[in-house]
Amino acid sequence: MEPNSSIPPPVMGAAVAYPPAAGAAYSAGPYAHAHAALGALYPPPPAPGPPSSHQGGAAAAQLQLFWAEQYREIEATTDFKNHNLPLARIKKIMKADEDVRMIAAEAPVVFARACEMFILELTHRGWAHAEENKRRTLQKSDIAAAVARTEVFDFLVDIVPRDEPRDADPAAAAMGAAAPGIPQHPAAADPTTMGYYYVQPQ
Amino acid sequence: MPDSDNDSGGPSNAGGELSSPREQDRFLPIANVSRIMKKALPANAKISKDAKETVQECVSEFISFITGEASDKCQREKRKTINGDDLLWAMTTLGFEDYVEPLKHYLHKFREIEGERAAASAGASGSQQQQQQGELPRGAANAAGYAGYGAPGSGGMMMMMMGQPMYGGSQPQQQPPPPQPPQQQQQHQQHHMAIGGRGGFGQQGGGGGSSSSSGLGRQDRA
Repeated sequence: MEPNSSIPPPVMGAAVAYPPAAGAAYSAGPYAHAHAALGALYPPPPAPGPPSSHQGGAAAAQLQLFWAEQYREIEATTDFKNHNLPLARIKKIMKADEDVRMIAAEAPVVFARACEMFILELTHRGWAHAEENKRRTLQKSDIAAAVARTEVFDFLVDIVPRDEPRDADPAAAAMGAAAPGIPQHPAAADPTTMGYYYVQPQ
Repeated sequence: MPDSDNDSGGPSNAGGELSSPREQDRFLPIANVSRIMKKALPANAKISKDAKETVQECVSEFISFITGEASDKCQREKRKTINGDDLLWAMTTLGFEDYVEPLKHYLHKFREIEGERAAASAGASGSQQQQQQGELPRGAANAAGYAGYGAPGSGGMMMMMMGQPMYGGSQPQQQPPPPQPPQQQQQHQQHHMAIGGRGGFGQQGGGGGSSSSSGLGRQDRA
């Protein structure tokens, strides 16, 4: 459990504008729960009965590397006309909401970066599930598992049907069965989910 | 769909209105999404088409989710334009606070460069061209585009006209790397069209290199 999960350690001279107190306040919120799930999911233990501190440490290290790389990429950005995602398409998706009236030029630019982070996080968490099932191909059921396991992705439960995991594999089916409980009782469901997937690799 | 501008003083969104809504327009191009997904996976990992399409849908939902929250905030504050800070606030509110700090840096740099470009566009467009992409052969088109991008009004027009439903991300183009090779930015897309309603793709077509290879070599997934 990392209390400062919302404040990535500054690397390569990147300055953290937030005071630690604000970060602590954030991490006390929903993301602390997500971070707990993250610690449980990221590294599948190679041997039976690995210490949880080792697992948490590995997950924390991965997080630090990810955010350090984000800062490096951002510092290296000098040309904002080249994006990995088309700005006009982002703007069109934004304007699908009829309440959205005018969009500043900087908004699709911010979204281009945010969507890249989102895709990386979702894919990375999905890959953890694929590895647990000894597969080298990321499947739709892996994305569904990542959505079900991560509270911050609750808004995607309607996008990724939950019956898909049941057809995919037994572990995903069990995860699907556990999924309905997560939104109603996050605190109660979290130990159950962690316990189940902790036993699975053994 | 109400008509709107990027800037208060900008022109009408003619480009946006002309393009008819299509199923494909609801999602980001699958090639772009797939390329980003590969950066999160080991080199020997494969991605099923189902997974790519699912992430495509998830990203559109993410954009709508954040945009809806930001739009509500703007309405409460009687503002008409959603800006970058509204999006960052919405991400914090909706649980994506980890994204906000890197994005603040990103937005800060964007605004700096925007300011520089606005100032430079008043000066020599040649200097502007050299400052941004001096190595590209289409100097005239790029210069015109950059000058337009810098001005507040035409900047809005440029933003609305950018995009390539015709190409759908099937023509990724390799851009010159930044000055520091070890921190090379993953730049594969050029969605830049010159002012004047030019319908064609302003960028040279043969610029694409090995777009799938990433010079960054993510260390945490080696």
